[in-house]
Amino acid sequence: MRDKVFIADRGAREAGVCVGMKRGGVLTLSPDIAMHERDLARENDVMREVAFSLMKFSPMAALCDEETVVIDVTASLRLFGGIVRLCRQMREIVGAIGVTARMSTAPTGQGAWLLAQSAGRAQRSKRRVLKMTSLERALGPLPFSAAPEVRAFTDWFEGLGCKTLDDIRRLPRAGLKKRCGVELLDSFDRAYGLAPELYEWLAVPPGFSARIELPDRIEHADAMLFSARRLVMQLCGWLSAQQLALTHAALILEHERGRDAVDPTIIQIALGEPTWHEAHLMRLLKERLGRTELVAAVLALRLTATKVQPAEPPTESLFPEPGGTAEDHNRLLELLVARLGAANVLRPAPSSDHRPEHANRWISVTDTQKSEAVPADLPRPAWLLEKPLQLMMKNHRPFYGSSLKLMSTGERIEAGWFDGGLTSRDYFVAQANDQSCYWIYRERPGSADADDPRWFLHGLFG
Amino acid sequence: MSALPKNVEDIHPALWRGSQLAHARGPTVDTGYAVLSAELPGGGWPLGTLVELLVQQPGVGEIRLLRPALAAVSKRPIVLVQPPHIPNSLAFAYLGVPLDKLIQLRASKTADALWSAEQILKTGSCGALIVWQNHARTESLRRLHLAAQASQTLFLMVRPLASAADSSPATLRLGVRPAGDGIVVDVIKRKGPTRAEQLSITLQPSPILLSPYARVRRHTSAPAIAGSIPSPLVA
Repeated sequence: MRDKVFIADRGAREAGVCVGMKRGGVLTLSPDIAMHERDLARENDVMREVAFSLMKFSPMAALCDEETVVIDVTASLRLFGGIVRLCRQMREIVGAIGVTARMSTAPTGQGAWLLAQSAGRAQRSKRRVLKMTSLERALGPLPFSAAPEVRAFTDWFEGLGCKTLDDIRRLPRAGLKKRCGVELLDSFDRAYGLAPELYEWLAVPPGFSARIELPDRIEHADAMLFSARRLVMQLCGWLSAQQLALTHAALILEHERGRDAVDPTIIQIALGEPTWHEAHLMRLLKERLGRTELVAAVLALRLTATKVQPAEPPTESLFPEPGGTAEDHNRLLELLVARLGAANVLRPAPSSDHRPEHANRWISVTDTQKSEAVPADLPRPAWLLEKPLQLMMKNHRPFYGSSLKLMSTGERIEAGWFDGGLTSRDYFVAQANDQSCYWIYRERPGSADADDPRWFLHGLFG
Repeated sequence: MSALPKNVEDIHPALWRGSQLAHARGPTVDTGYAVLSAELPGGGWPLGTLVELLVQQPGVGEIRLLRPALAAVSKRPIVLVQPPHIPNSLAFAYLGVPLDKLIQLRASKTADALWSAEQILKTGSCGALIVWQNHARTESLRRLHLAAQASQTLFLMVRPLASAADSSPATLRLGVRPAGDGIVVDVIKRKGPTRAEQLSITLQPSPILLSPYARVRRHTSAPAIAGSIPSPLVA
């Protein structure tokens, strides 16, 4: 098989390259043709990638000969809404991995394998059969070389005038068994559902860590999304097969190695609400990657699941809440944190302090700190200024747009002597000419500048 | 023409006469102020649609105007996006909005704020969403309005009074100005007849609780300070 053409694309075929040609022959036909060595190890890796991604649909996936993945979806049909939808979803996933596939369905694994192997010429509808009788009808006209066990006896069967699988099945069993051995008959029996099938299902590894090399040096974080999707697909397949949900993951962006080595960039993904859904993970990654600044070009990606927990089945209440579940809300917060940053998604955590700016504390929603009880009968303005604004004085009155009239008795707040931030203020509610109310304070005069009171605007009554 | 029913507005819920208020398309939440509720289609703030509050400046009483509605929808979270100043959580507790439901989003860019608002509306898990925007383009308003229609969220956008002249896809637009012991509201746009005169609404609770002149009715829950001394600075 070495140094022979295994597969050729359309351009090469038009130039006259056929499968099975030698290297020299190809170069004679077209000297500037690009030839790549077949890398079985990488092919196998891609096959495993596909198989893991498809484990989303069934944990029973097996790698078979001749680049085929066999999946038993019998038990998953209802969950995914029938065979047609299931096939469509599978095709999407395979497409996202970046390979082309031929898909077939049959009541037996061996039958589906045969259909997929030889269906290049057949119509697509003939590749999808659900009943045993239609499988027999679909397998019958296939050329016998589709079955690997027959290939050793090709010349002999051709001499007998056989062309299709049906022709071989019509031969007497006893004679076939004597001449070709048991394997051939066994394989036929498995395909036609006469003998049980045994597959070596792919074992699920205990941890998940997948790596992907990027096709090029990538300098924009957004451009990595496509490749990251391949990893996320595998991760979701792995999670589904084990019925786990992800809580922590790390995406490692590998940069240049060797002499000019740059440390890899690590993006930690922490999920508030454990998930195993691809769509949510992709949205999170998109926001995170969009905010990441790359120090150097990225050569490869690695996705590692650092923390998982058993998935909880969705509770289907009879009357769902109109606004979605609490999980939906937590997912929303996660998404907001991913885009705006944890410091910009805040919840109130008032502390018991007399100083308004200390009492009104906002902390990140990701912070688990508990808030202290608030006195509910404290009249306070709805808005506090970030920094108190010093007011002008006109006719010995504070002035803000118009001169302010004090409308309440003073409230003295004096605290902070214990932590160095001493404040000593008299707060008043003041009203301007246009009837809007302001919360202003007078800094309590020290002994030095007792004659010159300084007024500040601190709050607005919303 | 004789085939027309007597009441034309009964033909279809989206139909109303120019002289009457429209039917509410979806659920509404009571404003808590009877004067205002009577002037709104459906008798309250409509849910799942864009409502614009055009304020003269922050702090004219917009939060107290929304207080009863916010308290009514506070079973679900209330999100404040890009508030103009720091919201005082103690004030919200005083106004009866549960603090564990409040979320504040700060966005450095307008695009981020609008994106957040759209995500919140799409998820629909929040009871109320209040967005402060000074310059909003009509297409982004329309987009948010469409996103709001899929949810049951009380969606308010607070904009400056100057933008009343711009067109907007909002179904309800109210202009808010401070007045005596409350606010006056201009109904700029609603599904119903135009209203030329202003609505005067007395807001509760008033910020002036302990007046040295005892002009304003005291709030019952306010702590009375014995022997309060008038400020010497007040002339």
